[in-house]
Amino acid sequence: MTEKEVKRYETREGDRDLFLSALKTTVPVFLGYIPLGMAFGFLMDGAGYHWIYAFLMSLLIYAGAGQFLAVALLAAGAGLPEFVIATLLLNLRHAFYGLSLLDKFSDIGKVKPYLIFALTDETYALLTTAEVPAGGSKARFYFYISALDHFYWVAGSVLGAGLGSLLNLNLEGMAFVLTALFVVLTIEQYFNSSIRFPFVAAVGAGAASLILFSPENMLLISIILGTLILIAREKFGQRDTQLNEGIRQVKGIGQAHATAQPVQDSSQEEN
Amino acid sequence: MPDTLQMLATITVIALATFATRVLPFLCFGSREPPAMLSTIEKNLPPMILLLLVIYCLKDVQWFLAPYGIPELFTIGIVAGLHLWKRNAMLSIFAGTGLYMALVQFNVFSFL
Repeated sequence: MTEKEVKRYETREGDRDLFLSALKTTVPVFLGYIPLGMAFGFLMDGAGYHWIYAFLMSLLIYAGAGQFLAVALLAAGAGLPEFVIATLLLNLRHAFYGLSLLDKFSDIGKVKPYLIFALTDETYALLTTAEVPAGGSKARFYFYISALDHFYWVAGSVLGAGLGSLLNLNLEGMAFVLTALFVVLTIEQYFNSSIRFPFVAAVGAGAASLILFSPENMLLISIILGTLILIAREKFGQRDTQLNEGIRQVKGIGQAHATAQPVQDSSQEEN
Repeated sequence: MPDTLQMLATITVIALATFATRVLPFLCFGSREPPAMLSTIEKNLPPMILLLLVIYCLKDVQWFLAPYGIPELFTIGIVAGLHLWKRNAMLSIFAGTGLYMALVQFNVFSFL
């Protein structure tokens, strides 16, 4: 082998390892998306739609709760404006996911549009927690995770729409795999970061929205509420530090990211 | 075929609306430096959202009807305990899911 061939062979090897690593990372999502996708396909089949529509919706929309809502709206004979408003409101939480990925995605290259398109709850959870394997490309690793999750969802939908009525599997409770995945990822986040306040904010905002709002609206409202709590703590809890930061920024010392660091440190001391 | 066209239009509209929610922050802060406040939010959002997703998974639990959400809370306790003990994600997730499926399919808490 020439040097070039060795190099190409090595990148292909590394690529396979990266893919296998992504495959391993996404196994819980596979187990969750297959029954959930099947439930959606089954619903579409039951509502009298050809399986190709279940396929197209999962491929192009790719939003679990959004697609279930769409079936309900289709059955209710809703007009296009109703679809737009309902979808925007239900999926607005995705905007907050992007908000925390601006930095992570800033150097991601040409896969960025796809990664943004494929940003579901579960993929977001994986991308913010999974470590890119040593020496592997972040862009490729993220792409594999996103594309695999997308594939599982589409496969589940088609399976449900095509075979749902023929199969008689008892999958009751299998979607709990996603709850378990989120529990494990939350614990990993707890160990990986020294900040504790986000968990306090989540419990407060989550409990409040669970009690005060309907289940369908609970996630978006709790994310907004939690973000407001984070901002309020940032603004009023460390006003002195902020003031110093402000002065330093006016003087032009340090970038936005560098100035955020001391604020972070002071919040750690408090906890 | 107006029905087919209408269906395709509906799917396109939902797809665009969904993508709009995902691309919004990148359009707003894609070219200019995000405000300083945002970088703190960036660090604090993932842990908060992950815990909120756990809470969201419990949104349909009927807390005041038997079995009072005990299968869910019990299994989450087992998953968390197992994970704190072994730190093996696959083990925690699969043992927990298997346990939960057994609990609900065999209606273990029917005595409540």
